[in-house]
Amino acid sequence: MSDVFPRWTNRLPGQIIFGLLLIGGVVTAGLNYYFTPKYTRVGYQPTQPVPFSHSIHVKQLGLDCRYCHDGVEKSWYSNVPAADTCINCHSAVRADDPKLEPIRASYKDANKPVEWVQIHKLPDYVYFNHSVHVNRGVSCVECHGRVDEMDEVRHEKHFSMTFCLDCHRELSPENGDPNKRLRPLDKITDLAYERSEDPDVKVRDFDFVKEWHVKTSENCSACHR
Amino acid sequence: MNDNSTPTNEQKSGPRYWRSLEHKADSPEFRAFVEKEFPSGVDLIEDPVSRRNFMKIMSASFALAGLGVSGCRRPEHKILPFSKMPENYVHGAPQLYATSMPTRQSAVPLVVKSYDGRPIKIEGNAEHPNSNGGTDQYAQASILSLYDPDRGLNFKLAETEGEGDKKKKSLKVIAKAKVLEQLNDLANSKTHVLMEQSSSPSRARLVDGLKAKGVRFYEYEPVDFSVHAEAASIAFGSSIKPAYKFDKAKAILSLDCDFLGTEESAFENISGFAAGRRVKDDDTENPAEVMNRLYSVEGLLSLTGTNADHRLRIPTGSVGRVAALALKEAIEQADVNAGEIVDELETFVEDLNKDFPKGHAVDGDGEVDTAKWVHECVADLVRLSKRGEKTLVVAGYRQPKEVHLAAMGINAILQNIGETLLLQAHKPSGNGSIEDLAAGFNKGDNLVVLGGDPAYNAPSDIDWDDIVSKAGKFIRHGFYSVDDTSKTASAFIPAAHYLESWGDARTSDGTLVPVQPLIAPLFGGLTELEVLARIASAEETDPHKITRATFEAIAGKGDRKWDKFLHDGFLADSAANTVFAEFDISAASDAWKKGAKKVPLPAKGDLEVTFFRDHSVDDGRWGNNGWLLETPNPVTRITWDNVLLVSLNTALELLGSEAKDLLDFEKVDGKEYDKKLGGLPGRFGFHSESGRFFQKEYNLTISGKKVKGAIWLLPGMADNTVGVALGYGRGVGRVGGAAGFNAYDVRTAGEQHFAVGAKLESADSKYEVACTQEQGVMDGRPVVRECNADDFSAHKDFVKHFDLDSIHHTSHLVKGDDRGYPWEKDRKQDEELPASPYKNNFGGEDSVSAPKLMDIERQQWGMVIDLGTCVGCNACVVACQSENNIPIVGKHQVAIGREMSWINIHRYFSGDEHNPQVTYQGVACQHCEDAPCESVCPVNATVHDEEGLNLMAYNRCVGTRYCSNNCPYKVRRFNYYDYNRRPMGVEDGERKPGKFFNDDNDLNNSPLHPGNKSSNGEWELIRWYKDPSRGSVPGLDDGKKENGEFDPEWDLIKLSKNPNVTVRMRGVMEKCTYCVQRIQSAKIEQKAKVRDTVENLEREEKISTLDVPDGTIVAACEQACPANSITFGDISDPKSEVYRLKRQNRNYSLLGFLDTRPRTTYLAKLRNPNASMPDYFDIPNTVTEYEDKHHGDIFKRKEGKTNGKEPKH
Repeated sequence: MSDVFPRWTNRLPGQIIFGLLLIGGVVTAGLNYYFTPKYTRVGYQPTQPVPFSHSIHVKQLGLDCRYCHDGVEKSWYSNVPAADTCINCHSAVRADDPKLEPIRASYKDANKPVEWVQIHKLPDYVYFNHSVHVNRGVSCVECHGRVDEMDEVRHEKHFSMTFCLDCHRELSPENGDPNKRLRPLDKITDLAYERSEDPDVKVRDFDFVKEWHVKTSENCSACHR
Repeated sequence: MNDNSTPTNEQKSGPRYWRSLEHKADSPEFRAFVEKEFPSGVDLIEDPVSRRNFMKIMSASFALAGLGVSGCRRPEHKILPFSKMPENYVHGAPQLYATSMPTRQSAVPLVVKSYDGRPIKIEGNAEHPNSNGGTDQYAQASILSLYDPDRGLNFKLAETEGEGDKKKKSLKVIAKAKVLEQLNDLANSKTHVLMEQSSSPSRARLVDGLKAKGVRFYEYEPVDFSVHAEAASIAFGSSIKPAYKFDKAKAILSLDCDFLGTEESAFENISGFAAGRRVKDDDTENPAEVMNRLYSVEGLLSLTGTNADHRLRIPTGSVGRVAALALKEAIEQADVNAGEIVDELETFVEDLNKDFPKGHAVDGDGEVDTAKWVHECVADLVRLSKRGEKTLVVAGYRQPKEVHLAAMGINAILQNIGETLLLQAHKPSGNGSIEDLAAGFNKGDNLVVLGGDPAYNAPSDIDWDDIVSKAGKFIRHGFYSVDDTSKTASAFIPAAHYLESWGDARTSDGTLVPVQPLIAPLFGGLTELEVLARIASAEETDPHKITRATFEAIAGKGDRKWDKFLHDGFLADSAANTVFAEFDISAASDAWKKGAKKVPLPAKGDLEVTFFRDHSVDDGRWGNNGWLLETPNPVTRITWDNVLLVSLNTALELLGSEAKDLLDFEKVDGKEYDKKLGGLPGRFGFHSESGRFFQKEYNLTISGKKVKGAIWLLPGMADNTVGVALGYGRGVGRVGGAAGFNAYDVRTAGEQHFAVGAKLESADSKYEVACTQEQGVMDGRPVVRECNADDFSAHKDFVKHFDLDSIHHTSHLVKGDDRGYPWEKDRKQDEELPASPYKNNFGGEDSVSAPKLMDIERQQWGMVIDLGTCVGCNACVVACQSENNIPIVGKHQVAIGREMSWINIHRYFSGDEHNPQVTYQGVACQHCEDAPCESVCPVNATVHDEEGLNLMAYNRCVGTRYCSNNCPYKVRRFNYYDYNRRPMGVEDGERKPGKFFNDDNDLNNSPLHPGNKSSNGEWELIRWYKDPSRGSVPGLDDGKKENGEFDPEWDLIKLSKNPNVTVRMRGVMEKCTYCVQRIQSAKIEQKAKVRDTVENLEREEKISTLDVPDGTIVAACEQACPANSITFGDISDPKSEVYRLKRQNRNYSLLGFLDTRPRTTYLAKLRNPNASMPDYFDIPNTVTEYEDKHHGDIFKRKEGKTNGKEPKH
């Protein structure tokens, strides 16, 4: 019998396997890079209906986070302020500025809320509670980054499950230095604060986890109900 | 001041839910906006999809979805904040308001939890003087009615369409003002107003005002409890309403009084009864001395009967004769001079024994002397009363007032008046009855119907249609515009739900309670008060102000008093005055002479029908409430239907020779069931095919009227009696529209509760009944462990002698230090913990599923359920459903075993098949420390946390169902379909009440099936793809209106869900979580409260400060339980209640020999029988079964060591 197949087909299986591995590898690598929250979420900076600049209001004017986000210590939800909070000052300051028109319109008419675009959103099956974090030494900056330097708020951290677990795992005594993420309660909203640079030695070396008996849970029930 | 209770004008009209714009999605503009995103042609599929079309469309969509126009970003979500922040409002934190649910003649005091401005969970108001925080199942489920998509949405006026033969009058949506115009000129004597009963003083005030103008008022309740007050008023001479204090009664005789189940304010009775039943500490207390005793005489097997220590089966109509005998016995035994009444009683008493020789059978063979039963029962009551103890004799609402008089007479003899039977001053409403309405209604008069549904539930001999045809104006104020009464009305006013209403009421002790709204009427409904005020053309029509005016007349003016009233949920010290009166023997005797009649005995062709208030739908008012329809009846375990209940003997008589084929007797050793072998047939139904019950249908004929229903065998019913539940067959609503048959069709005004002379004839058809408990017996398995109270002191550790984990098997095996919890090492010896054949120790080296997981520094959660006080009311089932967003699955799914409730109250029969003993056991996830479900999950979706909870991560579950397979308790529930999104009342794109989206046809259930189309012809998959967050509710997708109204079903489903609990989708397993959301909330609150203040404390103190105090976390089931049978808490805290209960002698774990070490344990049930009664069982029947099937002599009967026949107390 003569050769049914040409010579080059001998190498075909190997080439196919190699090709599949190559494609598989590239696709996997691509997915792992481009399709993880670290890529898809970090840097998300949508345009807001009102160009509210945190850096002006917080850094320049010195407003505390909780002046507007007042629910953060009392509930799971950190609220976006109602229009009347803005009008407190903006009835006098920049009272006619067209950029603030949505605020004024909302203040006058309850049917016209300011349509802020939500940046930080966790899936519905995750139940995160702000109050317990804020009241127990976790600063806003740990999760939201340096909001006080942002002109337009962006998604600073990636908020995948491992982001939460890293901290919750760290806080168990077996893993590393658990105190890195905690700070004295009066410095929660001081986003520029660095504990390692605190002039008070006692604060620098304070073992928050032990002294405050901070016990987080690494278990599913901490966030999933 | 803008407090949250009164919305501002802006807020009233604006959208109240503001998380995202999706809630606004119903507007046609938005829909157009969305649709523009897709190329034309995608959303319209007119022809059946060919493969080519499918590929074309899907590839186009893929291009858009992932890599095309919209990119990889997630869709934009909007945050819509308030315009002005409401005071005292923190978004995310629940708000609690005190209110009450008005019932017929009282109210249930409530505290309702509200999130985002909408009510989510109902709880009892523990601050109220008469409440322990428990509620009944009706109150728990009433919140779903607020979100009922079939409720009246708009004001309507009737319009006549068509001509000649096709003339049809139907209600059309119209402006509110036009309908309110109809209320003008009604305040005169030509107006007849038919209403439901109410205890509201505001309503009474308005009614009185209108009566002065000549308006005539009538009250009609199909289930009417007023006989209690009527009889008491005769017996005690002035207008009196009796109140029963079950907690003080040492013995209770119930004459057909289902005070634990379907009497008014049953939850209060359960609370009192349980208080009298509870053995707080079985180490120091002797149950025989502290427990009460319940005797029951009845024809049906009611909830109360199942909890009775002694039960006499007598047809409902003949209970009066037993009452007469009891009264005679009481007179004789207590040596009271009662004059001639004894002779009158004789006529009723004679032949009692002849007519009922076999009132109750003992050990399957013997006969019980009915007269002796009554004699010994009364002897017990008299003995107690001579000792200074209090007892109570109650008669049920079904019994004529002569029986009530007899009961009160006995109470008077036993000196219970003023102690367990309180007399309250009572002002009868003075309104006429529905018969008066029928008699007094003239042509051209105006008819106003407020609430109720008289076209549906009026007695069958009242011609309602005739009244309507004579009416000039017929104004209907009702909850549904689609019910029978509304359909024929000339004007329809939608009613506000009580959670949307201002009003007031009085609870059963007379305390004034507010009805406070938690949300403005969702659909602009009006309250009854407002309608009455408008009829009166009053200045003040705002029910808020009306209620306040009434309050101020009672308690005085002042904001502070009013605010306190609303805050507390009741007005302190407003309870009704107790009246001290003597029992008027002559008045009672006269009434007896005039009214008492001997009801004929039922016989084979002449059955007695008893109509009873249904445990789920009440008199029909909850007919469209899915939670209640799906909650099984506690005794029959049937959902979604009513049935014709008959006893075993009656069934055998009906079936004749067919009995053997149809009655499912177990084959024992290949031979037919022989009752001498003991035990009961495994299934209490008729022939069941693969667990499904296809029952024969029978026609029930009485007084010339007929109704058809499925037959059901209920052991314990009196012979020749048929029990029929009211409230079904109403035909209203997409959920309950097809449920059951209408018993009102055969019920006459003269015989509203029972009637003799009925016939049952086979209808040659079959009907499927969805029963959730096929296995009605324990079959010798010690699932529920019981003991008689008088045996307990001698056998305190009896629970340890059952089953494979009994100490007889395991005493040589591992016990001691290896077995206990770490925190017990220093504490009391752990010999109380059940010994086990296995060495596993949770958190220890050998633990399979949880090595070293349990964290001793954290609180360890556990639960104890006391079977002694649980009466089986099922309030916990509904509460759990409400709290945890548990969907309803529909009748078909329940019938094939896919029920969803996380906690089930199992009901077991034992003993004689004619009059069995009944036990209840509530079973939810046991949270086993060594859970068999955890180790088999392939994706680790179910894990154990450090505090002892068995967790369920829904997002991880792939639906293998291996965990449910492995669970020995079978407490896991699987979402076979996306139950939360299945449209209700739809089949094949058409409206079919009671059906759930292609339920019966399993092939069609997939969204991929081209036959599944929305009402606009859109293929289900495409419609889903366009907006996955929508349900496939026909009519909503395309903006199509039905009768001029949008269908709000989808929005209402979303509103009704508890935001703290995940809503589960298809393919996900779920189960009881110990209300983990409440545990976490409490822990978070504690930590947020403590903050850093523990800095300078010692370590132990730090821990204890951060611990949640005992009693803070109350699981939903625990909270709702009126009997306080469920206790939840920290089992490692020696001061907690749970710790104490787990150390009771009666504590045992279910299937303990499997060593799953469940965190939920049970306290064994104690029965308290009277040894001198002829139907005395010296050990509970379940124990007899156990000993017969296995071995053992737990109470040392064979050694003759049980107590003799002397009664212990």
